[in-house]
Amino acid sequence: MPQQTVHKIEVTPQSARRTNTFWRRMIRQRQLILMSIPMVLYILLFAYGPIWGWLMAFQNYKPGFPILEQTWVGLDQFRFLFTDDSFIRVLRNTIAMSFISLILGFVTAIGLALLMNEIRKTGIKRLIQTISYLPHFLSWVIVTGLVSMALSTEGGIVNVVLMKLHIINEPILWLGEGKYFWGIVGLTNVWKEVGWNTIIYLAAIASVDPSLYEAAEVDGAGRFRKIWNVTLPGIRPVIVILLIMNVGWILNGGGFDIQYFLGNGQVLDWSETIDIFVLKYGLRIGNYSLGVAAGIFKTVVSIVLLYCANIIAKRLGEERII
Amino acid sequence: MQTVRTKFKAEPFLFHTFNYLIMLFIVIVTLYPFLNTLAISFNSGIDTTRGGIYIWPREWTFKNYEAVFVSGKVYDAFWVSVARTVIGTVISVFLTAMLAYTISRKEYMFRKPVTLIFVLTMYFSAGLIPSYFLIKDLHLLNNFLVYILFPGAGAGLISAFNMLVVRTYIHTLPESLVESAKMDGASDFKVFISIILPLCAPVLATISLFTAVGQWNQWFDTFIFASSRQELSTLQYELMRLLSSSMNFNSNPNISSAAAADTATMLTPLSIRAAITIVASLPILVVYPFLQRHFVAGLQLGSVKE
Amino acid sequence: MGVRTKKSALWLLMLTLTVSMVATACSGNNSNNGNASSTASSSPDAGDSTNGEKVEPFTISLFTAATGPIPTDDNKIYQEIKEKLGVTLKEEYLVGDIEQKLGVMIAGGDYPDMITANTKLTAAKAVIPLEDLIEEHAPNLKKHYGKVWEQLKDPADGHIYWLPNYGVYQGDFKPTDYMGPAFYIQKAILKEYGYPKIKTLDEYFKLIEDYAAKYPEIDGQPTIGFTSLAFDWRDWGLRNAPQHLAGHPNDGGVLVDPDTNVATLFSATDVAKPYYTKLNEINAKGLMDKEAFAQNYDQYLAKLSSGRVLAMFDQRWNFGQAHDSLVSQGKVDRTYVGFPLVYDESTTDYYLDRPVVNLGNGFGITVKAEDPVRIIKFIDTMLSEEWQKRLNWGEEGVDYLVGDNGLYYRTPEMRAQQEDVTWKQKFKAESLWGYLPKLEGNYPDGNADGPGNQPDEYFANLKDIDKEVLSAYGFKVWSDFFSSPPENRVSYPAWNIDLIEGSDAKVANQKMKDLDFKYLPKAILSKPDEFNNVWSEYVAEMGKVNTQAYLDRVNEQLKWRVDNWSSK
Repeated sequence: MPQQTVHKIEVTPQSARRTNTFWRRMIRQRQLILMSIPMVLYILLFAYGPIWGWLMAFQNYKPGFPILEQTWVGLDQFRFLFTDDSFIRVLRNTIAMSFISLILGFVTAIGLALLMNEIRKTGIKRLIQTISYLPHFLSWVIVTGLVSMALSTEGGIVNVVLMKLHIINEPILWLGEGKYFWGIVGLTNVWKEVGWNTIIYLAAIASVDPSLYEAAEVDGAGRFRKIWNVTLPGIRPVIVILLIMNVGWILNGGGFDIQYFLGNGQVLDWSETIDIFVLKYGLRIGNYSLGVAAGIFKTVVSIVLLYCANIIAKRLGEERII
Repeated sequence: MQTVRTKFKAEPFLFHTFNYLIMLFIVIVTLYPFLNTLAISFNSGIDTTRGGIYIWPREWTFKNYEAVFVSGKVYDAFWVSVARTVIGTVISVFLTAMLAYTISRKEYMFRKPVTLIFVLTMYFSAGLIPSYFLIKDLHLLNNFLVYILFPGAGAGLISAFNMLVVRTYIHTLPESLVESAKMDGASDFKVFISIILPLCAPVLATISLFTAVGQWNQWFDTFIFASSRQELSTLQYELMRLLSSSMNFNSNPNISSAAAADTATMLTPLSIRAAITIVASLPILVVYPFLQRHFVAGLQLGSVKE
Repeated sequence: MGVRTKKSALWLLMLTLTVSMVATACSGNNSNNGNASSTASSSPDAGDSTNGEKVEPFTISLFTAATGPIPTDDNKIYQEIKEKLGVTLKEEYLVGDIEQKLGVMIAGGDYPDMITANTKLTAAKAVIPLEDLIEEHAPNLKKHYGKVWEQLKDPADGHIYWLPNYGVYQGDFKPTDYMGPAFYIQKAILKEYGYPKIKTLDEYFKLIEDYAAKYPEIDGQPTIGFTSLAFDWRDWGLRNAPQHLAGHPNDGGVLVDPDTNVATLFSATDVAKPYYTKLNEINAKGLMDKEAFAQNYDQYLAKLSSGRVLAMFDQRWNFGQAHDSLVSQGKVDRTYVGFPLVYDESTTDYYLDRPVVNLGNGFGITVKAEDPVRIIKFIDTMLSEEWQKRLNWGEEGVDYLVGDNGLYYRTPEMRAQQEDVTWKQKFKAESLWGYLPKLEGNYPDGNADGPGNQPDEYFANLKDIDKEVLSAYGFKVWSDFFSSPPENRVSYPAWNIDLIEGSDAKVANQKMKDLDFKYLPKAILSKPDEFNNVWSEYVAEMGKVNTQAYLDRVNEQLKWRVDNWSSK
């Protein structure tokens, strides 16, 4: 019922006094404004302030000289990026690895969170949670080093187990064949981050109203019915929001270090992502502008995808970003 | 009810067995890399080169840790790290939650533009050099405040990611709570402090963890913005420095490496990396178990919600 | 309601106030001691310098791009420098990526007083010309660089910006240990077959094949015939062998005609093909390490350390850790000897080269230095014999002893101590030393520049099998395996030519590397009848790269060197 009263105040007769309403709303919402606008100013200064750096994408930037005194090259940096023979392949790899990592990451993290939630002994539950997020604290060098070791043909655990089970007859050079690379990247991402990623879902699960479970139990719902009908709907908004946000990161390639450390000449056609290409042909050879150009490209794509995902979510009546 | 429970007696047993087996697998797989790193950190560097170290050291040594602690700089750096993590996390979590509350209010007139401004920050970067100029112009170079203010990965006053997570959480809370409070004359700030904040315990615990880990692991801002002032050096930065220097430990051309009479004392990048990983992660690992109880606390509050 | 709003607003206000107060407090603090380079040492008591002059306390800030063990605050050498010269060194070491760090440093113009060399710094005019400073204030440096003065000059404007840290020798050059590229093979194999002479790839791989057939397992693990590393920047294992096989010295990616000084590429040419064909052959025989090109550096070292890799092409320093590990396991016979193989027996090998001046390295003085004269004087002092011995050998009685013949030597305990990193952090200054100009060769008193090159020290470290191998071949030191190098070609070496940041030459260079990394493993590991197809594809792809841009830059610089360096 209070809802109505609020609306009554808001719906003023539509008339020429629109500006007046605007100011009145501002005054009424002064606390909300005071609670948010200082932070907006902060982010405008710190995140948007330096955006003049995008000018570098249209230059041949050499540090040490003012930005306006640099050589302007128009769209040359973009041309270099888009017309390179490998660009399509690099783009394909980036999207494929992002996509695989995204799907695998979501399914495993949600699944693990749901299973952990079924553990009734709090002590054990906490212990498992704490252990499962340990790999998050290891650097990528260490994790990829262990992956290389596990996949080695010289006594790597993966080959040993598969041979013992007679699934394969001789060791497979997992890191030497492009067709395995995307999958390896996806699984490595899961290995390192699954525990960490469950945290956010566990927090969401904790907020599900216990009375809903009781009600479901009264209805005779079993364990899986409860998960399906109560838990999942309860954490759905979080899942959707994370999904939308992640869609915007599709050009990040599911990481950088992972391809950098696991990639090698033999799998170059599958392992090279936009970020790695930019490192090799930009920063490494003293061309700062290429990285900026690639960044602009990625931002544009991100925003378009984000917008689309947001619209879809809106159509489906889901939680959305804006 | 009683009958229902007895009827499905076999199901919970099967399920729990299955579930515990999966958990056992998860635990083994995720514990291994950490145990391996721990074992390598206590194993002689040159011996580790041979490979074959799994979860137990073969040639015990404390040399790797000695190298970490010998300079004494890590002690000061540790406290700088603690300071930035505590201060940065408290401020950031509070401000992020406050902002999330404002954009969760459907009636807020600037809700959409404010949300958009923050969301976009997740998808672009202005680049390092312009950011450097900004920090320099604000006189924040070699200043502790840069750790709190610079919106790098996992740091900054506001994290857009965390903001959305909290807002989503607030949306799941019953709107009636806020409205009845407002009917009683509570202001937005009052509602935020006395109703939203306590109810958000689980999600605040989550973003505190994200922020604290982000702050703790950050070394890049020290590297770019505060590297010429030793007092501001953070633990991660000191450890990264040790790691870079370890790449050159054994490359002095003027010491014939055949002279390696006592190789047990020799350090390799691999062994140093293991030791610094342990030193860097142990302090922050204790944070999570501490925050875990809030996940349950939220549950109890949830039942009070009506 | 009004009261409540006011109260909350008050809260907000207080919060804002607190934050801003913290802000001002911290920034105020910053402005007092933020600027490092201008801060003078606080201790007023200046000690006496070596030449008896009264010295003013002086602080030099410096940035080092690569560092050895980081000195502790109470490091002994730094203390001595402060006491004797009044100089406090405020050092910063690179931690992350050099490109990023220099990018912001240059953009902001925030340089220390001294900095290690980088072409970006020269391009941004961040460093000052040193010729006049050296002429007027640095007699040691002037004498040291006298012979190579012209080479130090920047090709772009003829100024000297950097003081190379290595490669300027006093007297004759007498190498003992060999740290460079070669085809390495286990000592055990040589012993097994009676120390045969090995000149060609055929002889080399024949030995490997025979030995692997006889010993299919070593210490219970399968024997690996030949491996090679191609990981990240460690690319020479895969790419560099052909130029040496063809009798050329290490010029990076090109072959340079010693008479005309014109460079040509060897990648994807008939100079390179025979080598990779050979590797393809040995792969068919099961001798090639299948995992070679998918392994990382740690895996490579682990494999070598296990003692089951019979041979590889590499540079000696790159597998130092594996060598040390083998020695510590008591598997000295599994350590390696390098051979300078050539395609054709009549070709003279040119693996070992005469030292070249390490151009584009060492320290420079930046435009931010307030008193460049004192800095150059400091560097000059460090080049004196007294300081050189202090930095390289150490302290008499502590780090070395003087024999009756006046020659320095170390006891085994002293040697062991030199390996201890935590000890070095307190008592050595390796990162500083690494970049300072050095007296190399022998001191006037007959001692070598450092312990590593003192013949007696060297022989004291040889193991029994080492002595056996050396005497079997009739050699005294490892470098005797290599032909004694001729005088360096005036334009040598091409690998230190600056390709210019962001240029087409650099892009082409990177493309060539990518193609080598992609196609060479593919060719080597392909079935013998497919080899030629893969090779043609490789050659065709290489044809699409703008290699001319790369060659043009290299040739232009080679010509410049001939014109400018030979006049002196």
